[in-house]
Amino acid sequence: MKKCGVMSAILLAAILLAGCWDQRELGEITVVTGMAVDKGENDKYILTVEGINATELNNRTASGFAPSIVYSAEGNSLAELTYRVNEGMSRHLIYSHMRTLIIGEELAKEGIIDFIDFLERNREIRDDFNILIAREAKGSDVLKVTYQFQKSTSLKLHTQLDTMMKDWGGDPGVRMNDVITAWTAPGRQPVMAAVRIKGDPEAGASSENMMKVTPDALVVLDSLAIFKGDKLEGFLTLEDSRNYLWIQNKIVKTSITAECSENKYMGLRVYDTRTKIKGKLENGKARIKIMIRAEAYIDGTHCNDQFDKAKTYEENGEIAQKQINDMVTKTIEKVQKEYGTDIFGFGEVVLRQDYQNFKKVRNNWDEKFADADIQVDTTLIIRRTGIRTKSFLKEVK
Amino acid sequence: MSIIKSLLKMRKKKEYPVQIEEAAVAGPDLKSMNLEQLKEKVKAEFGSTVDLSMDELKTEGKDALLIYLTTMIDTKLLKETILQSISGKEDGFKLTTEDDLKSLCKGKFGGAGYQLIGSFDEIITSLLYGNIIILFKDMEKALSLSMAIGEDRSITEPSTQTVIRGPKDGFVESINTNVSLLRRRIKNRNLRFEKFIIGSETNTFVYIGYMEGTANEKIVGEVRKRLGQIKVNAIFESGNIEELIADKSATPFPLALNTERPDAVASNLLEGKIAILVDGTPFVLVVPAVLVDFFSIAEDYYQNFMMGSFLRIIRYLSFMIALITPSLYVGILTFHHELLPTPLLLGIIAQREGVPFPAVIEVLLMEVTFEILREAGVRMPRAVGQTVSIVGALVIGQAAAEAGIISNIMVIIVAIPAIANFVSPTYSFAAAARLLRFLLIIVSAFLGLYGVLIVLVFIVAHLSSLRSFGVPYLSPVAPFLIEQQKDVFFRFPIWSMRKRPAYLKTQNPEKFPKTGSPSPPPMKGDQSN
Repeated sequence: MKKCGVMSAILLAAILLAGCWDQRELGEITVVTGMAVDKGENDKYILTVEGINATELNNRTASGFAPSIVYSAEGNSLAELTYRVNEGMSRHLIYSHMRTLIIGEELAKEGIIDFIDFLERNREIRDDFNILIAREAKGSDVLKVTYQFQKSTSLKLHTQLDTMMKDWGGDPGVRMNDVITAWTAPGRQPVMAAVRIKGDPEAGASSENMMKVTPDALVVLDSLAIFKGDKLEGFLTLEDSRNYLWIQNKIVKTSITAECSENKYMGLRVYDTRTKIKGKLENGKARIKIMIRAEAYIDGTHCNDQFDKAKTYEENGEIAQKQINDMVTKTIEKVQKEYGTDIFGFGEVVLRQDYQNFKKVRNNWDEKFADADIQVDTTLIIRRTGIRTKSFLKEVK
Repeated sequence: MSIIKSLLKMRKKKEYPVQIEEAAVAGPDLKSMNLEQLKEKVKAEFGSTVDLSMDELKTEGKDALLIYLTTMIDTKLLKETILQSISGKEDGFKLTTEDDLKSLCKGKFGGAGYQLIGSFDEIITSLLYGNIIILFKDMEKALSLSMAIGEDRSITEPSTQTVIRGPKDGFVESINTNVSLLRRRIKNRNLRFEKFIIGSETNTFVYIGYMEGTANEKIVGEVRKRLGQIKVNAIFESGNIEELIADKSATPFPLALNTERPDAVASNLLEGKIAILVDGTPFVLVVPAVLVDFFSIAEDYYQNFMMGSFLRIIRYLSFMIALITPSLYVGILTFHHELLPTPLLLGIIAQREGVPFPAVIEVLLMEVTFEILREAGVRMPRAVGQTVSIVGALVIGQAAAEAGIISNIMVIIVAIPAIANFVSPTYSFAAAARLLRFLLIIVSAFLGLYGVLIVLVFIVAHLSSLRSFGVPYLSPVAPFLIEQQKDVFFRFPIWSMRKRPAYLKTQNPEKFPKTGSPSPPPMKGDQSN
């Protein structure tokens, strides 16, 4: 009996004394969904957080106030700043639901690796949020722009990037852990999606912006930011961004336009595609072979080809695959010539497939990448033509 | 603490002798008294009770005394048959010796269950069981005839364990009717019933039923021994017996299955289990009981095995829902916000905006309110039933949410486990989830999901320590018996369930020979057959 008493005393003490230390009632917290880091004026950084006003996000309880509150604080370490923002915000901020991190262009050019350590180390912050560059803007301004559906920019961007990547492929699908992997892996440099404010940032930062059919300001996906180490090197176009995904074998679905005859185009929906990369070093020169295999269906054509013959499929397929070949090659050449930074991870491929030779060039791989011999080989097969075989165009024209 | 200690000690000290059923009771001999004395003595025993009737009568040329309790016997039967036959004159017959009495009884009441008794205490007992006693002058033995009448409820559908498909009869309060319900289902000479009289003041009939040659003799012996050891003064319900014979009382889980359904008891008897029937209650106990018994019901076997399996899984799921939903709510909302998808978290925050209480208070408030409503619903007079349900629905539902005392989602968090709790086929088992729920909520308020996990681990450890008549409570899952899994989480087709539960160690482990699945007759021209 005495034993029981002691046991229950220990158990009670364990529960009552050890418990509750990280307890937070829902009424005491504000959920942070987005964070922006900019270059500070006096100190190193300006941290901007977007705290959600949950009542406004719920259609039943919303009463037309701003959907979120954005507050900035300046300091030298993000770790401190995440708590210092309470100088302006009332509730305890929880960062576990952070969806988007936006880095100002100015800061990105100077290097970002210092504060990323905090984001990776912190127990609350996940490592799978979207990491974006605000092109020609401050990150804090991007966070302030409102939107009709998800209402807050960070939630909107999260959904938007996801949809874009699945349907067309403009977003590289880079999360924080991908950036860190790219840094730590030999033979790869990180990329990030870049966004831009289309319109007036001032006007975008009000709830009136949500009420307009054409908002005063809108955050749009602009380009692909490419890095050398932790410094921003430059931007590629959205098409390049899609081609990047293609090389990474990350395309889910996409659409391409090919010229089927002079000044006439056809749209192809690519719904299944695989990419394989082979790489090796020959006499100190890298040889990379990219093999793309894609299946597509005709989604619209200006030409009045009649798709009741196998030959027509083959011909059109060849046109399209040449188109893809050119696009992808162009993108790679552009990166090779203008930036000389291996964002595609060809170094990784060579590391796996030709380790002995890679070891020798490991430290100056980017130079090898810049003058690598790259060959793209695409196979595209047209499987279907939508719900019509013969086009009505022939009868009209 | 010390009180409990001394109580426990007291219980240990007492060594109950094994009681022999209907022990021969000694008492004053009948021979030593004449009728007048006996009359006085019976009167003295019963005092001034109104229903004692003592009539003098003369039969076979002899003075006799007819004693009975008017409330216990069928007076119509008494008048019509017994008195007519006994007072009818028969020439040349003298009732002088015991043999004369015997032959008289053989002639008149052969087959009617007469008894000749010789001691005074037996007379009293017989009277209490609803017998009539006829005392003859100068005779050593008295004639006792059973004429008990019980105003029985007719057999109706069980009120607790209803089925859609299956027999609609349920046990009643009369033990003999209950035995007959079982006999009618199992027409087998091996079905045995043994009688015990338990309760020093109530003298309640308790029968144990089992299949001779199937049931494990050791378990039957253990049941006999435990029933024999009971020394309480009163037994009113099988719940009393259940508590007195359980292997352990400090547990919220029932260690004996109780049911109102004769078909359920019958099928359990054939599995090799033992039924305990108590006079005066429609609830029959089945021992040994294991955890999985509380998730299977007779109807599982009456419908398609796929549906039976599906419903069984639903029952396991509901038990878990009933047990942990409120504590998960508390744990996640106060410790683990990151576990919820963002839109859901934001939705809950929006709803809880303005709720003055912490989540745990909110949950406890609503759970207690619900328990009060539930108890009120069971106890209230039928006439006020509607009032309670209207008020209850208002209190627990919209009104509380609108008044800002609780959040809307809270209504769901209370309602889902409440409904899930009613899925449990055995009420006493559902009660375990009801109790443990509160423990989980409180620990979860302090330690979050970590605490929920700790309590669940403790519950599993506790469950595996339990025994029901020596059978591990978690068998056949722990200890794991692969060949017994056909009737645990899934219900396999009946033709494939040939084995009796191995954990019972039955004398006859196979129920029927191997037959295989039923199949259509061979087609015309099929050479294979």
